[in-house]
Amino acid sequence: MIEAVPVEVEKNYLTEKQGVLSWFLTTDHKRIAILYTVAVTALFFLGGFFALMMRLELLSPRNWLVSAETYNKLFTMHGIIMVWFFLIPSIPNTLGNFVMPMALGAKDLAFPKLNLLSWYVFMFAAAVTVYALFRGGVDTGWTFYTPFSTSYSTTYVVAAAVGIFISGFSSILTGLNFIATTHKMRAPGLTWYRLPIFVWSMYATSLILVLATPVLAITLLMVAVERIFQVGIFDPALGGDPVLFQHMFWFYSHPAVYIMVLPAMAVVSEIIPAFARKPLFGYKAVAWSSIAIATLGFLVWGHHMFTAGTSVYSAMVFSFLSYCIAVPSAIKVFNWAATIYKGSISWDTPMLYAIGFVGLFTIGGMTGLFLAALGFDVHVQDTYFVVAHFHYIMVGGTVMAFLGGVHYWWPKISGKMYPEGLARVCAIVVFLGFNLTFFPQFVLGYLGMPRRYAAYPEEFQFLHILSTAGATILGVGYVAPLLYLLWAWKYAKPATSNPWRATGLEWKTPSPPPAHNFESTPVVNTRPYDYEAMKEELDLV
Amino acid sequence: MSDPVALELREQFATPEQQRETASAGMWIFLMTEVLMFGALFSAYTVYRILHPQGFALGSSEMDILLGSINTAILLTTSLMMAFAESNAQEGNERWLAICLIAVMLLGAVFLYVKFSEYIEHYHEHKAPGFWFEDSSPYANNVQLFFVFYFIMTGLHAVHMIIGIGIMAFLLFRTWVGSFSAQYHTPIVIGGLYWHFVDIVWIFLYAIFYLPGLHR
Amino acid sequence: MTAPRLSRRTYVFAYLALLALTLITTLIAYLNLGVWSTVIAIGIATVMASIVAGIMMHALYESLLIRIIVSGGIIWFFFMITLTLGDYISRGWLPVPGK
Ligand SMILES: [Cu+2]
Repeated sequence: MIEAVPVEVEKNYLTEKQGVLSWFLTTDHKRIAILYTVAVTALFFLGGFFALMMRLELLSPRNWLVSAETYNKLFTMHGIIMVWFFLIPSIPNTLGNFVMPMALGAKDLAFPKLNLLSWYVFMFAAAVTVYALFRGGVDTGWTFYTPFSTSYSTTYVVAAAVGIFISGFSSILTGLNFIATTHKMRAPGLTWYRLPIFVWSMYATSLILVLATPVLAITLLMVAVERIFQVGIFDPALGGDPVLFQHMFWFYSHPAVYIMVLPAMAVVSEIIPAFARKPLFGYKAVAWSSIAIATLGFLVWGHHMFTAGTSVYSAMVFSFLSYCIAVPSAIKVFNWAATIYKGSISWDTPMLYAIGFVGLFTIGGMTGLFLAALGFDVHVQDTYFVVAHFHYIMVGGTVMAFLGGVHYWWPKISGKMYPEGLARVCAIVVFLGFNLTFFPQFVLGYLGMPRRYAAYPEEFQFLHILSTAGATILGVGYVAPLLYLLWAWKYAKPATSNPWRATGLEWKTPSPPPAHNFESTPVVNTRPYDYEAMKEELDLV
Repeated sequence: MSDPVALELREQFATPEQQRETASAGMWIFLMTEVLMFGALFSAYTVYRILHPQGFALGSSEMDILLGSINTAILLTTSLMMAFAESNAQEGNERWLAICLIAVMLLGAVFLYVKFSEYIEHYHEHKAPGFWFEDSSPYANNVQLFFVFYFIMTGLHAVHMIIGIGIMAFLLFRTWVGSFSAQYHTPIVIGGLYWHFVDIVWIFLYAIFYLPGLHR
Repeated sequence: MTAPRLSRRTYVFAYLALLALTLITTLIAYLNLGVWSTVIAIGIATVMASIVAGIMMHALYESLLIRIIVSGGIIWFFFMITLTLGDYISRGWLPVPGK
């Protein structure tokens, strides 16, 4: 980091207009990104609260804090809030919204009004879902498996399904907007191979948002219809098939994992070259692997149903395809490693998070291969092994990258720096707390501890206590950045336009950027991440 | 600034051409989400039809082929009217543009009228799914499943038709206030894309619900 | 590229073809051809849909981008239906109950 006098700007997007209405009626992608950030942060801590309650309950082998029924609601509400109201919108709608138009050299997204509409739709969906949770909650698990959700559960299934159904429209609007923007709003000279990987990955994410979300919407609609009218859509007694629900649900929900992790890869692909001072290794391979993940991600959903009674032939095909999708993921990991290799690395906070991401994502991905193996999957199906696996991807992957990205672009967003030393400590706390929380769960699952139980045999207690201790540390690691970033917004020292000496168009405009992003439309004539060729220019900043 | 094209150019775009192409791409992407949404229902319907062939054949034989065919012809006609509307818009012929839009709306309303009279007929014959459903065949449950999909899919299509008529009304209003010209009429094209797509959905619904019941 | 323009004649021809296909598919549906009835009905519906999309919506005359978007939607629909039906059709192939 280098010290420099901040560039004096007349007006930026934060000061351009004043007043509450200027925020709630804004069509500026940067302001909408902040609206989204506030919303998903609040929902993240709500979902985190449910997780903390669960971890506390699991301190003892017997129910001591909440009843089994309440516990069922806790894990359901944790899942629903975290999946649809934090992880899915987290990076695309906050950092993606903020950075993508600038990375393209555009004044805004292609459809700014749709962007604002998507925020309102999201808020309405969140309101409906939170209403369902506080009226009495839902106990089906975030997966809404039939026939329990349609015939037996006595909780607010329809209201929660409607909330998620509505949030789907917000996802679709965002995805549509990003795709159209990437195709049509690029600055002159910004060809596809000159785009940052951030844009490639956001584009791949948007493909999934657009192609998968409608299937979830219609599936939840059918659950609601079946629950209200009891007409047998998924009821075997009336000729329906519960496994068909699983097919349709996972057609969305497996790709949804990539909605969560591709944006994380997008962030990490920006951070690593900037802090290793090297061009991203294997740029084209990394770019196309995003598209490959988005495509292959649609062909593997059956691995969630190996024990659900699908045919063995179908299971074999899905198992094979699940192995295939490890290839593009591994391409990314190897290329990040090759980028770091012999780089001149600076260990600033974003880099700490990015390196943490690579390690944790690798563990999450490798255990995913275990689960794709038919025999092993039967052994650990519905155990904590699965829970640990997807938390390594979603928390160790997406949340780490989200925090890394927030720190990386914080100077651009707020125009202020953040307390670097404290932030580094917090990044390490998050990493340690995370591993202490979730690594014991691999062991628990392998030993046979099933997921979604409030009580368990006493021999598992030690590992559960470790996990709860880790969750407490993790909680501290999440609250601290919220506090110091809020402090930094007002009191930290101003940031220069390019504090990390990074490439990318978003760093060529003042921090915070003016309302229309650029003084004049930028023209691009270099390859991305050209850290070696641009050394002198960047060092002058 | 009296140039209507310049007036309609949003600030994020550099040229009207870019704006038009972006709008068109946006609509097409949206239509693909619709493909996947109806596609999911179509897949589920196919699974159940393979699992329960007799019940679905019985259900299908309850359909009124005459009304279904008339409705298909009506919708195809609205598509022609919509295409003409676009031609008139391109020529700057606002009067005929308005007339075509009105024709689309009226024929769309006729379609909905026929559709809802079919619904009422099914209800009176106790074929609407739910506790009022009655069927004496041994495949009663499967016939009900057929009608579940029939009502969800045609119902969803009808909702799209109603939205489509709303869009046509909006376009008519904008035509009336003089927003469109030979240079700028992108909303007509975009609205038309939506309308034609709803037509395509019906073509498949006609094939999977009405036709299989004709032969015994 | 500028917006595609088609003549009214083209639209009328497309319309007449669509009406004719509706009539043909309805008449064929009266014949009992077993599983082929469904195949033919879906086949003709696909042809009709292609006419609407290709000519009425002028997808045939659109840019590469639009054609990629349209093929994307169709391919993804086939992903869904193929892998789902693959499970249902291959159940019972293995002479083990429940598989
Ligand atoms: Cu999966």
